[in-house]
Amino acid sequence: MKVVAFLLAVVFFVVAVLYVAGLMQFGAATPGRHVKHAVLFAILGALSLVWMRFGAGPERAR
Amino acid sequence: MTWFQAMLLAVLQGASELFPVSSLGHTVLVPALLRWHVDRTDPTFLAFVVALHLGTALALVAFYADDWARIVRALVASVVRGKLSDDPCEKLGWLLVVGTIPVALLGVFFQEPVRRFFGSSAIVSCFLIVNAFIMFAGEALRRRASGSRELDRLTWSDAVKVGCSQGAALLPGISRSGSSIVAGLLLGLRHDDAARYSFLLATPVILAASVLEIPKLFEPAAHAALAQSAAGCVLAGVTAYASVAFLTRWFHSHDLRPFGWYCLIFGSSCLALALAKVIS
Repeated sequence: MKVVAFLLAVVFFVVAVLYVAGLMQFGAATPGRHVKHAVLFAILGALSLVWMRFGAGPERAR
Repeated sequence: MTWFQAMLLAVLQGASELFPVSSLGHTVLVPALLRWHVDRTDPTFLAFVVALHLGTALALVAFYADDWARIVRALVASVVRGKLSDDPCEKLGWLLVVGTIPVALLGVFFQEPVRRFFGSSAIVSCFLIVNAFIMFAGEALRRRASGSRELDRLTWSDAVKVGCSQGAALLPGISRSGSSIVAGLLLGLRHDDAARYSFLLATPVILAASVLEIPKLFEPAAHAALAQSAAGCVLAGVTAYASVAFLTRWFHSHDLRPFGWYCLIFGSSCLALALAKVIS
């Protein structure tokens, strides 16, 4: 699951870059750069990295 | 927009964002009832709305400052540790993170098209009536259920469900706090816990949405209303703080039904006026 989390993080960061560069328009009302979309996907990327750090599982500290 | 209109809208936003009566619905219907000609696409008005949301979000952060400090500390500690612990604040923090993802996705992708499509007074009134029945149904189903559970006993899928329920508030007339409190009740939470979770869950969404729009406040076209925006931000914040203080006390011993009746009566009245072409 760590690999899945890492791959998801990479995909989300790439999508964020594409939105902020204005190269991706999916789900956007107007053409151009989409900072909101980029921030959202950057946050999802960061959360995927956190998931990877947690070992991609529900293990608990003792 | 006159100063009186601006300050009335600020009070309306601060109160109705947290009361389960739909702030968006009220900011469409009240100006229509008062025959104000508010241009919602005007940069001045958009900047003003950003300021109101910022004030509301800051009020929520201030009201739950101690909770947020504990939650953020617990989240950072868990990331550093790389493992989850049994700390209730940490569990609550991750539930809020998981619950925020669906509404953030729905908001970013669907907010603008949905609001363009459902902007008329008649449709907003209908959704306000639907909002009333959501609250009545939530209360009826909650009373049938036996027992209750604590906030930190929610599961990750429960967090997603409550988060998705907030997405219904993209429809003008459906309340964000109403739908998420009902979702919490249906998952077995008590009214006070469901309301607290709803307000905590709303904070990052409202704060992020307003922070991302802050540049609109400094656009040249918005400079004319900078003083109104600043005053509106403060007034909306004070009203939101008073509202959340009132509602957290209210839900210790009361339920959603009075708000349901209000939405039903106000929504029906506005629908009648819209169908009679008195308001548009």
